[in-house]
Order: sequence, then C-alpha cells, then structure tokens
Amino acid sequence: MVFLRSWFEWVNEFPSSIALRESLYGYPILLTAHVVTMCLFAGLIVMMDLRLVGLAYRETPASQVQRRLFPWQMLGMALSSITGLLLFYGQPMRFYGKVFFWVKMTLMGLAGINALAFHFRTYRSVASWDADPVAPFGARLAGALSIALWAGVIVFGRLVAYDYMTYK
Amino acid sequence: MLEFFQWMEGLVISGILRNSPVLGPGINVVHLLALTVFAGALLIVDLRLLGSGLTRQPLARLARDAQPWLIGGFIGLAITGTLQLMSTGTKQYYSSFFWMKMEILLTALVFTFTLRRWVTQMDEARVGPVWGKVVGLVSITLWTTVTVGARLIGLLS
Repeated sequence: MVFLRSWFEWVNEFPSSIALRESLYGYPILLTAHVVTMCLFAGLIVMMDLRLVGLAYRETPASQVQRRLFPWQMLGMALSSITGLLLFYGQPMRFYGKVFFWVKMTLMGLAGINALAFHFRTYRSVASWDADPVAPFGARLAGALSIALWAGVIVFGRLVAYDYMTYK
Repeated sequence: MLEFFQWMEGLVISGILRNSPVLGPGINVVHLLALTVFAGALLIVDLRLLGSGLTRQPLARLARDAQPWLIGGFIGLAITGTLQLMSTGTKQYYSSFFWMKMEILLTALVFTFTLRRWVTQMDEARVGPVWGKVVGLVSITLWTTVTVGARLIGLLS
C-alpha cells in the first residue's frame, strides 16, 4: 500500500479534510450515521444470505428475496459508503497505518467479487431452483461466503477504532 | 442507583473485562454483529409493513420467519450489552445518552412485543393500509433512536 501513501498525505492536507478532523461533532455524527446505514445494508444482506444457505425464509422464492430487497441494500450501501468515505477523508493518515483498515478493505473487495460471481453464474439458473427451500450448492456456498466476508468487514471495521497493529 | 453501578463496576469479572486487551473489544465486536442480525430481521418486516420489500409474501409468515433472528439478535445484544455495562458502569451512569437509550429501548421493546406483534400476526385485511405503515415507521424510528443513543454513549460521554 506504500504507493498510496503520497496520495493519502496529499488528501490529509486539504483544508476541508483538516476542518473535518478538527470539528468537534463531525466524527461522532459521521460514525453514528455509518453504523445506522450499515445496519440497513448488512442487515438485509444477511437476511438474503440466510435464504440462500437455507436457514430462513425458506417458503419465499429466492428471486423475490434477491430482487425485492435489492433497492434497500443499494440505498444502505450508498449511504454507508458516503459516510465511510467522509470518515476516511477526515483522517486519511490515521487509517493508512492501520492493518485492520486494509484487512477490512480487502474483505470488502472479496465480498463484492463473491456477489458478482454469484449473480453472473449461479443466479442465472434461479428459475430452476427458485422455490426450493434449500438452494443448490453454488448458491449455498455464495451465501455462506457472503455472511463470513461481511461479518469480517464488520469485525475489522469495529477493530479499526483500537490501536492494535497500528503503524506510522 | 449510583451504588448499584459502582457495585457492578467493582465486580471481579468487570475488572477482568476492563483490563483485558482482547475481551473488551471482542464484546464490542459481537455487539455490532448481533445488531446487524437484529436490524436485518427487524427491517425486512418493517419494510413490508411500509409496503416495500417482500410485499408478495403474507405478512404473518414473513414475521414468523424473521422472529428467531430478531430474538436471537436481541439476546446477543442484551448479553454483550450487559457485559459492556458491567465493565464501564459509572461512565454509563453519568452519560445522559445511556439513560435516553434505555428509556427508548424499553419503549421499543414493549412496542415490538405488543402492538407490532399483534399487527404482524393479524389478518392483513383487518389491519388496513394505514396502520401497517404507522407501525412500521414507529418501529424503525424507535430502534434507530436506540442505535444512535447507544453509539453516542461511547463517542460523546
């Protein structure tokens, strides 16, 4: 991540970044909004994944869970991304040195790849297993991976607040 | 009341939680994971009450399917929340956000297990379009306020 350092340092000196960093309520308000919007996003993602692995909503067609929750998941993702980017914008150098921050970003990337792979491969055949209470192996695997990866994102996101594995 | 919080903070287990470099953060992490499950199970039904999301499914069945995750998530929140309270008793006692959170939490709990429960289990035709929306909106508002209050205990106390 060394190649990003100069870019992070550059953002760190923006007057608006400094203003956000030094404002009394900027950080608490943004972090609280980040948690609330994360609940909308990750909460509905987990509910969808529980249907895929066959642990919940087994009588609801899988495609219904996928399609009908999608707009709300996207709203949650947009809002938590905006609040997350602003949190980062205010303290880029704080996050640069945190191993847990980079772990979180990596897990997010993997969760995104998993979602796209599921959508463009296994989900294409949804018509043939839509009403099955337990989806085929590919869908169950995608659901289990999604739960594990997003849980990891939340775990490491929370741990960023602590000073473990923090470097200059 | 203050004595009770001081007594809690003085317990051996509270000291262990407070001084451990792993247990304190670990409890906060599990609290957040439990919140995510709870929020998902809550929102999937509240959105349905508002006329969005899984509208083609019967409300009563959706609420029944979501219930174990709602209750499971809440139990996780309650256990980890109690441990957080034990390790930082007096800080919570002097935080106005803590008391605000607890008052609204109590309201939200009563609301969820009486009115919201009746409405989600009732024949939908009898509930009508308006009351469902009111209950969904009140539920989202109450629980969002609890979450905001809870997060601010840590940030602004």
